[in-house]
Amino acid sequence: MIAMFTELLTRRELIWILVQRNLKIRYKNSALGFFWSLLTPMLMILMYAIFASILKFNTGRPEYLQFLVTGIVAWQFTAGFLNDSLNAIVGNTNLVKKVFFPRVILPLSTVLANGVNFLLTFIVLLLYLILSGAADFSACYWIVPAFAMHLVLGIGVSCLCATANVFFRDTQHIVGVGSLAWFFLSPIFYDLEMQLGALKFASPQLGGIVYLNPMTGILATYRAALMGHPLTPEIISGGVLSPLWLLLSGAVCLAIMFIGLAALRTGDKYFGDVL
Amino acid sequence: MKAAIEVHNVTKQFRLSAGAGSLKTAVIDWARRRPSRQFTALNDVSFSVAEGETLGLIGANGAGKSTLLSIIAGTLYPTSGHVRTRGVVASLLELGAGFHPDLTGRENVLLYGAIMGIPRETMRQRFDAIVDFSGLEEFIDQPVRFYSSGMYVRLGFAVAVQVDPDVLLVDEVLAVGDNDFQKKCLDKMDEFHRSGKSMLIISHDMHTIRSVSDRIAYLDHGELKGIGAPNAMTARYGADSISGGVTGAKREWGTGGAKMTAVTLVDGEGKPCGTVPPDQRLRLRIDWEAASRIDRPTFGFSLTDETGNTVYGSNTEIDGYDLPFIKGQGQLALEVDVATLHAGNYMLSFSLHSRNHAVNYHRLENHLPISLVENMGFDGVCRLPSRWV
Repeated sequence: MIAMFTELLTRRELIWILVQRNLKIRYKNSALGFFWSLLTPMLMILMYAIFASILKFNTGRPEYLQFLVTGIVAWQFTAGFLNDSLNAIVGNTNLVKKVFFPRVILPLSTVLANGVNFLLTFIVLLLYLILSGAADFSACYWIVPAFAMHLVLGIGVSCLCATANVFFRDTQHIVGVGSLAWFFLSPIFYDLEMQLGALKFASPQLGGIVYLNPMTGILATYRAALMGHPLTPEIISGGVLSPLWLLLSGAVCLAIMFIGLAALRTGDKYFGDVL
Repeated sequence: MKAAIEVHNVTKQFRLSAGAGSLKTAVIDWARRRPSRQFTALNDVSFSVAEGETLGLIGANGAGKSTLLSIIAGTLYPTSGHVRTRGVVASLLELGAGFHPDLTGRENVLLYGAIMGIPRETMRQRFDAIVDFSGLEEFIDQPVRFYSSGMYVRLGFAVAVQVDPDVLLVDEVLAVGDNDFQKKCLDKMDEFHRSGKSMLIISHDMHTIRSVSDRIAYLDHGELKGIGAPNAMTARYGADSISGGVTGAKREWGTGGAKMTAVTLVDGEGKPCGTVPPDQRLRLRIDWEAASRIDRPTFGFSLTDETGNTVYGSNTEIDGYDLPFIKGQGQLALEVDVATLHAGNYMLSFSLHSRNHAVNYHRLENHLPISLVENMGFDGVCRLPSRWV
């Protein structure tokens, strides 16, 4: 595993060029080009603002729209790498069949390309939170673990999806439905208090196992960093859930990354045969 | 001498399954315990290529040549055995294969360099040489999807050789590109050879591969049949593939006023025979048939080699054989001395046409394959009387 990281370090130029390629191709032949990375989130925030107010779509918490938009922006990074990773290897068949290089670079570069895109969206999100007065940067250091967990999760999920899609093209359909389920299972448009209330655990402190979904932890950390929300919610019994539960999400992210990398390494031997 | 490429007992099997890439078929296969059919593309192949050596790889389609090259390039894994290579390996498995259609020529060149692990700075320095070699100055900032296939290949070759690998793998790329470009490629490969790099080359063009290779390996149905001197190996391949090795489809056409009903290879006694007799004389009996009288017809023949080049052709007119007319049925005997011709596979075509070529009564293209096995001590098409004084 360490050998792999040092190899990736020596191949950082290739990774960067592939990231650039992914980004360039995304905006090839569009008049506004790179501007879309900024324009899309602005328009999206506007949409949510309009429809949430028309439909009175609110869980009742203060600053609901900001809460929702933060969740959506973070989720879009996840949705982006989920989608793009499917084609990371399959879409580069000619490269994979003809030239040798560490295959992990392909899913990695799609994650990083989505990450760059996410950073641009993130700037828009920051501006929005500041302008709307919902920003609270008192615990802004949480942004580091938030990014780290999100990236680690991205690498793992992308390696898994990219590899699986080589052998079974069913993967893309499964991912399509699966990502919708994942969206609803993550506290994006509802908050954790609501989720815990609905789940009704025997011992309220056990509610922490919702952090098994890594997105739960990631979203909580983003909201802690940007909006000053507590990392773990108050539970019905009145106490606060132990913030240590966050480690569960982190551990799951790491586990998924190692599984993904292992799957890619195992599958790598057969890519040439089945592509 | 150190080996640049070592291939140890490499076996490659492919699974043959109809609907690969679907979870459903995988589950069904597993549930039924259906054994997957295997295809052995390479069977226990071992050899090595020394540093500075050029090894040619020949064999019929499906012999496993490209599979072997892919395994050496690292894009396929052997089922068993292993391969060791020294230094940077660049493959011209398919020129321009890694190019992305939406990126410009320039971007693709830098991408390819990065894939091969060449630092960006080095690539920038070599960039002009690449563009120069490809001859695509005007188009280098155009997306490559606007390139013609020839331009694609030229840029692909230019990048691959400028990557300056220690080992170059070439899979039948010389068949593309115009004459000028082919010459440029051959020159580049010579330069490569001189600078002590190793090459592994696949080609169906026996003349080219003989002239560029130090040794040739002959693969047949996944097995290494032999490795050794170029002339001996191509001759052996030629002898093994008597009819299969010659290009050109058998074809028959014409206006039909007269016909050659049969062309038979016969021996000295006039009996049909399957191979050219030891005296190296082709004796052919041509049976013809003409429904109505045809004045001053011309019978012709031509001999083509494996690549379809005409080695020799003549007709009754050129040879001064007087044939006033034909009518009804008859026979004509043709004798060709092939004693000076190099060993190999040849194809005979026949024609029956009017004197001024205005009417083609009947043509038999690539009608009769023949194989010559003598005469392999020299280079070229045929022996010319040469003498050292």
